Order: sequence, then C-alpha cells, then structure tokens
Amino acid sequence: MTDQTFRRAGRLSLALALATTALTGAAFAQDCTTKIGAVLPTSVDWGKPIAETAQFVVDQVNEAGGVQGCKIEMVLRDTQVDPKVGVDAAKALVDLDGVQVLIGAVSSGVSMPILTSVTVPAGVAQFSCCSSSGAFTTLAKEGKTNGLWFRTFATSNVQAVVGAKVAVDQGYKSVAVLYKNDDWGQDIGKLVAEHLAAQGVTVTATIAINDGQPSYRAEVTEAVAGQPEAIYLALYPTEGISVVREWLSLGGTQNMILANSLKSDEFRDAVGLQYLGSAHGTDTSSPRVESADAFVARYKERFNSEPNGPGLSNSYDATMVALLAMEAAGKDAKGADIAAAVARVTDPAGTPVTADAAGFAAARDVLAGGGSVLYQGATGNVRFDANGDVSAPAVIWSFTESGTKEDSYITLEEVDALTGAGN
Amino acid sequence: MIGLLSYAVFFSTVASILAIAVLGLNLQWGFTGLFNGGVVAFFGAGAYGTLILGGTPQADHLGGFGLIYPLALAGGAVAAGLLAWVVGVLTLRLRQDYLAIATFGIAVTFENVMRNAEALSGGAKGFRGFERPLRGLFGDGFAYNLFFFCLVLLLLVAVYLFLERLVRSPFGRLLRAIREDEDAARSLGKAPARVRLVSFITGSAIIGIAGGLYATFYAFVSPQDVLPTLTFQIWAMLIVGGAGNNRGAVFGAFLIWGAWTASGWALSRFAPVEAQLYTGSIQYILIGSIIVAMLLWRPQGLLPERLVLSQSGQPVKPRQQGA
Amino acid sequence: MIQNLADGILVGSVLSLGAIGLTLVMHMLRFANFSHAELLSIGAYAALVFDGVFAAILPPLADRIGPLSMTWALVLALVVAVAVTGASALVIDRLVFRRVRAKGSELSMVFASFGVAMIVRNVTGLVFGLGTQLYSKDIVFAVVVSRDPMLLIKPDQVFVLVATLLVMVALHLVLSRTTLGFALRAVAENPVLAQVNGVNLARMIALVWVVGGGLAAIAGVFYGLTNQISPMIGRDLVLPVFAATIVGGIGSVYGAALGGFIVGIAANVALAVLPSGYSPSVPFLIILAVLLVRPNGLFGEARA
Repeated sequence: MTDQTFRRAGRLSLALALATTALTGAAFAQDCTTKIGAVLPTSVDWGKPIAETAQFVVDQVNEAGGVQGCKIEMVLRDTQVDPKVGVDAAKALVDLDGVQVLIGAVSSGVSMPILTSVTVPAGVAQFSCCSSSGAFTTLAKEGKTNGLWFRTFATSNVQAVVGAKVAVDQGYKSVAVLYKNDDWGQDIGKLVAEHLAAQGVTVTATIAINDGQPSYRAEVTEAVAGQPEAIYLALYPTEGISVVREWLSLGGTQNMILANSLKSDEFRDAVGLQYLGSAHGTDTSSPRVESADAFVARYKERFNSEPNGPGLSNSYDATMVALLAMEAAGKDAKGADIAAAVARVTDPAGTPVTADAAGFAAARDVLAGGGSVLYQGATGNVRFDANGDVSAPAVIWSFTESGTKEDSYITLEEVDALTGAGN
Repeated sequence: MIGLLSYAVFFSTVASILAIAVLGLNLQWGFTGLFNGGVVAFFGAGAYGTLILGGTPQADHLGGFGLIYPLALAGGAVAAGLLAWVVGVLTLRLRQDYLAIATFGIAVTFENVMRNAEALSGGAKGFRGFERPLRGLFGDGFAYNLFFFCLVLLLLVAVYLFLERLVRSPFGRLLRAIREDEDAARSLGKAPARVRLVSFITGSAIIGIAGGLYATFYAFVSPQDVLPTLTFQIWAMLIVGGAGNNRGAVFGAFLIWGAWTASGWALSRFAPVEAQLYTGSIQYILIGSIIVAMLLWRPQGLLPERLVLSQSGQPVKPRQQGA
Repeated sequence: MIQNLADGILVGSVLSLGAIGLTLVMHMLRFANFSHAELLSIGAYAALVFDGVFAAILPPLADRIGPLSMTWALVLALVVAVAVTGASALVIDRLVFRRVRAKGSELSMVFASFGVAMIVRNVTGLVFGLGTQLYSKDIVFAVVVSRDPMLLIKPDQVFVLVATLLVMVALHLVLSRTTLGFALRAVAENPVLAQVNGVNLARMIALVWVVGGGLAAIAGVFYGLTNQISPMIGRDLVLPVFAATIVGGIGSVYGAALGGFIVGIAANVALAVLPSGYSPSVPFLIILAVLLVRPNGLFGEARA
C-alpha cells in the first residue's frame, strides 16, 4: 500500500464524515427504529384526518433525523369508537410492540379505560389530542394517572368564554345554543349557555344534536321558533352541515358563532361562503411569534389545505410533544421518564422551538446541551398543568375564499381574566 | 414473551367477560327462543349498577354507596334482572321479529338515558369506576390482571355449569318444549308466559354480571360502551359459535372477539404504510367478511345444538330456528 | 306544532319508500334484512356518480328544474341508480343470501345481513371517502306557507312527497292489478302453494330484490336531495326504516307506507315534548306503544 492510497482513503473517509454530518443524522436514522403506538378512530370521518396529522408529525421528525437517531414508526390502530376495541388495541401495542408512548384516543369514553387499564398499569405515557372529559382532571388530582396522562385539548371553557364574548361584541341580544351530544359538546354547550347568561344575553334554547340522525329538521325547527338573533354551534362538520343548511333554508339568521370543530373546509364548502359572512369562529391559538406559522405552512405543503377540522392542531401537538419528550428523555427511555420529560419541552423559560422538522432539530440540539425548550405548537404555547391539562390564548376567526382568517387575538392573560369574570 | 403472555391474559379476560354475556343470551335464544335484540341494555344495567353501588361518593351524579365488591356485582346483576322483568312483562308476548325490534329500541333508549341523564349516570362524559377489588394485594400490573382473569374465568365456569345443569333439568326440558311447541306445552298445564319470563330474567341477569365485570375491569363506563355494536357482537358470537350449545357460545365468543381484534393487529403489522390510514375501514370489511364466510360455511354454527332424545323412536329433524 | 307535523310528513316519505322495500323482502324471504338501508346508500352514491357523468356529457342538463335543487341530470341519474341498485341487490342475494338461505336458518340470514351491511358501508367509505357530499350545494330556501301559525315548506320536500306518493300508487296498481302482482303476493303468503300453482319462486325472489332495491335507490336519492350523502346513510337510516316497517306490520305495503309517515311525524312532534337529546329513542317508543296495542303492527297479520 502506497502513501497515495492512504491519502486517498483518508480523503474519502473525511468526505464521508462530512456527508453524514450534512445529512443531519439521517444516515443514523436508518439504523434503528423506535415504535410508538396510536389508537385513533380511523374509520370515522373526523377521525381519519386526526390520524393523518399524527402521521405527518412522525414523518417530519423522521425527516429531521428521528428521535435519538432512531426512525420513528407509528403503529396505528383503529378504535372504531368502541372502548373495548380501543383498549384491546392499546394493550396489544403496549404488550406486543412494546411501545412506551401511546397517542390517543379521541373520545373520552375510549381514552379513559385505556388510561386506567392499560397505560397507567404498564407505565406508558399517553397523549390525547381531544379527550375533553373533566373526569381526567379528577383522576389526575387523585394521583391515579401517575403523571402519565397529557392532553393538548385546552379546556372548553376558553372557547366557551370567547364565544360569549363574540356574542356581546356583536351586540346579539339572544342566542340559541346547539351542541353535539357527546362529552365535549355537553360540556361546552353548558359552559357557553352559562357565560352568555352571565353577560346578559338571552339563551333562547340549548339543543342537543345527536350523531347520525336521519334528519335534524325537528331540532332546527325548535331553534328557529325562539327567533334568536344568533346561533352558537358546537358541532362537527357532518352534523354541522346538515343543521346549518336546514337552519338557513328555514330562514334562520346568518349570525353564527362557531366552535373550532367547524373550522373546516368541508363545512365552508358545503354550506357556502356566501352564507358565512357573519359567522365568527373561536379557537385556541398560537402565540404571536412569526415561527408559529410553521405548522400551517408545512401542513399546506403536505395536504394542500389549511389545517382546518376538529382536533387537527391538537393531534399535531399531542404527537409532537410526545416525540420531543422522547428525545428529551434519552435513549430507551421508559414511559414514566418520557412523561417526566414533558416539562422540559414545554418549559416557559426554555428556548422557543417551532412546530416543524426544523423546530424538532433545533430542540434536539438544545436538549442535548442539557437545556430545556418551549414548544410553540399548533394550538399555542402548550402549557400543561399538574393534571396534564393545557391552557392557551384564543382567536376569533372567520371564513375566507381559501380557508380562514384571524380577526382578533386574545392573549392568555385576557382569557384568564375573561374566565375569571365569567365564573 | 412476557408481553405476549400479558396480552393473552388481557385478551382472555375480555373474551371471557363477553362469553358470560353470550351464555346469558344463549339461555334466552338458544334454549327458549326469545330474540333479545337489546342485549346491551342489560349489559349496561349491570355495568352502571355495579359502579353506582360499589363506587365512592361522586360529586355530580348518583353513586357512592361503597358496597363491598361481591354485593356491588350482585347488585348489578339484580339491576339487569329488574330491567328484564319490566321489559319482559311488556314485550315477551310479541312475535320474534317484533320482540327483537322492541328490545332493540329499549337498548337505544337505555343508551339515550345514560347519555342525557347526567344526575343518574354522569352523562356523555361517563361514569368513573372504583378501585379494582383487591388491588392493594396484587398491585397494578400483570399480577393483578392474572388475578382478575382467574376471577372472571371462575365466574364463567360457574355460569357455564349452572346453565348446563339448568338445561338438563326438568325446567330446561320445559324451556325447549315451549320453544318447539308452545300450544303443546300449554295443553300439558304449563304456563309458557311465566317460564319464558323466568328464562328472560335469568339470562339478562347473567348478561348483567358480564357488564358488571366489564365496568370493574375498565374502572369506567360511558354511553359509548352501550352502543348497539355490542348487541351485534354478542349475537354474532352466539350464531357463529352455535346457538343452543353452551360450549359453542363460549367458543364463539373467543373466536369472534379474536377475529375482531386480530384483524386490526394484522393490518397494523402487515398493511403497507400508505394503506395504514384506511385500515379502519378495511378492518370492518374483514370482520364483515369473516362473519359472512362463517355463516356460509356453517350456518348452524360451529358447535350446533346437540339434540337430546328424550324418547327413542322418531329420528330428530334439525330444528328450524325462527317462527 | 303544525310545522312539526308538516316536517314529519315530509321526512317520513323517504322512510316510507325504504320501508316498503324492506317489508316486501322481510315478508317474502322471512328475515330481518339489516343491510336494506345500505341499498339506499348504494342508490344515493350511484346517482351522485351518474349525476356528474350526465352533467359533464350534456352541461344544460345541470340546470335546476324550477324552484327545486333537482336537475335533469339527477333525474336521469336516478333512473340509472334504480337499475344499479336493483342489480346490486340481486348480486348480493346471489353471493350471500341465496347461499345462506339454502343451508341456514332465518337468524343466519339476519347476521349475514349485518355482515353485508358492514362490508357495503366500509367499501363505500373507501371508494368515496368518509366525508359528506351533496348533489347540489345551493341552499333552497323554504317558502312561507303561512305566518300564523308559522309554516315553512321547502320545494324539494314537496317534490319528494309527491314523487313518493306517485311511486306508491304505481306500486299499488302493479300489486293489485297485474298477474305479476298476484304471483308476488301468492309467494309471500305461501311459497309452497304458489309453486304448486306454477309460480317460479326463484324469479319472484329476484323480482322482490329488484323492486326493493329500486325503491331503496329512490329513497336514497331523495334523502340525499333533502339532507346529505355520506357512507353512513345506511347506519343512520336502518333503524327508522325498520321502525316504519314494524309499526306498519311486516308484509303490509300500505302499513309500511303509513309507518314511514308515523315515524317521521312522531320524531318531529316528540321534540315538542322531550329534550332533543332523547330524539333517537322516539321511533322505538312509538314501536313499543303500537306493539302493546297491536302485537302484529298496524296492518300485519299473525303468522304461525
């Protein structure tokens, strides 16, 4: 072997090393795979996009080199919105695939038995996008979640109070409340009615809208009868479309206040933008930093539409926080370590990181240096309290040709003040 | 390996709980010919009843009687039995398909009440359970699941033996006699209406026990647990396993629940990544196909009723189910 | 109240059409077909596809007819949908029900129909997506018929009601005036006797499926027209359609027609009394009430 070959070999290996570094660890990511579990209702119209969004996060993180240099594989199971099926799927993921992180479920009725009979006993961290039942808070307060439970669903009170504020700002004297008859809808429907009444707005009717009814004509007729100046809708798109089309055709007012579940292109297209001119929506929001647009921008690139639909932003945050916490917890971390590391990635004093692949890569560097980060998520600066609940600023939005636009921004402090005043 | 074992125990627990419910239905349909289309109402009555009776005090709804577990579970069964009594008195004289839809309607109404009557059931957000019995002794992990599985298995065996004995008893012969020819039974001085009611209540109480165990295991019950899907699942287990045969009922429960869950597992493992988002729908198609295929292959069930010859002589024709 | 009554009649007409098909099938084949409502779904989607096709071939067809949201393209698509759905019903019978019927009991048929419903619903979801679709996105406003008492009626719904009544009259004439109708009724009454008298049973069963499927397709399109189309149409309509059938009495075409209106009216009027959260139970409470008074439904006959 001559000097020349030595030198050549040296140059080659240097080039290789450089190339590897340039690939931001992507080369390492091929070596190992870490599984996480997801139990989401993929066979339901509103559930599939939530699962799509979770997978989108995993793809972004893999693009950024994976977690601890390992590629993430999300094993996805359908819950069929059946608690038995969801719990069994979760148990199989924990026992057979050995996942330490579980994303899901959507409905409280599925998430709760998973929490009590699968994840807590097995010490697996569970991140739900959308389970809104107050029972989780009670359980956590009793110390029965072992700190393993997180949900990126800001309590419905934020939206309810902002919804009431819209009614007052618009000068509506009377409002009819129509809510989805599930745990989320019953909760928010009741809260909105309370806040409206507290603000001196007459609630002409509170009407439960059951899923999957052949017609909502009777419910709408009842709402019309009260001749309210506006309606508040806490519905999902499928029922929302049916109800609003019926409502408009019966001559109901176009003054609408919409919960974020109706921030949906499907809803806008099926109802028609021409009827949604005086519709104002509420949502929880990202903080006012430029980087917070990262999520929306990336989402548009991937899906060619805005992230509008029930639970999409929440699903994004639940998955991203889970993966960030895995990164922070170190290699081969157990569920409890991952749950404990959530505080390090949602630290108000930490380095802000954006909700995209670049944000994840940035977070990795900070975490590797022993620092903590503040994840600026799709739903805002995700800030869990001791019970795994989250609070957030809010926005009021309206529909546009291409999607939605923000009309006003309500800071966390203002939200807190409003909820304090409303109670 | 330990993971596989842990999952197997968990799966078997749920399957055994469902098997108890299938046995209860088998008494009603298989042995008495009563088309109970509202299985889930009695399952739910047992579940809610057990949690209400055995739970710690709750702030915003009924509950918190804090009974010891065996009493709470028995109370759940009694709740299911009481519901069955009322329903039975109202509907058992109806013809089979009318009875099916009437009981189905009662189940839908039951779900509706649980969803809306917050003061009773906690409404749509569900009803928190109590600490699982003897949790202090077995902890929270695998040991506890193993213990609970043994408890469920014990109850399953007890229900099985009870029913086997019952159907072989004079009462069991009476049930079959009424099922086959009500007028003949009446001419012998029997009271078919009364016998049917007893069978309906007993079967429903057994279904109630299954519901109580289910709610205990998950320490939670919500309206989502009492949707009509469960009625369908339990019926499918009985029909595929073999109506009129208690072993078939248990076998069917394990088989159908196995197919239901394994199809999801297999899809999550073997379906290509691009197809993963569609696996929910594909899983339903698979489950539907399995049920249809089983019925095409063995319409009388895997373990059909064994016909007991009381009198020798005439060859026994296979029973025609239905009206 | 008058509004609720009117709404109930208009909503009920769709249920009536579904129930007539179901009652024929249940009477003839003696099993509760839980996949019948999926035929409504097949009809609605078939019409959606062909509506698009016809509108693309001949754009003027996409113009609305008078005050309705109905277009000529949809009328043509409806005709095709009737054929497609009738054929689908036949194919499903050949593939599944005929085979189960040959070997199994009624109950095997019932659960086979559950399986079929599951397959159809989810295949539809895979092909067309899980979201909501509409024939026309235009909202047709209700017409004020009277201000006191308030009565609002949508033109589409009046059209649906009239069309439903016409279909019913046509069916009535076929059943009561033609040899085919007699043969059909003879088979339903007593299959063995009918065969002795030279009625081809297999052909009659096929006919029932085609007629039931065709009526289901019309119901499905009308439902899509007045509400919306989703893969869950079958799931959402199966219970009200069953309720209508049972209230009317299995086997009675007129009972089914009336049953649909009763269920529709009851569901609408009940909300004046009950909180809206309880609306799904209403059809069943009616069934229960009817059956307590008349154990075989309004027009059903006791059958051994």
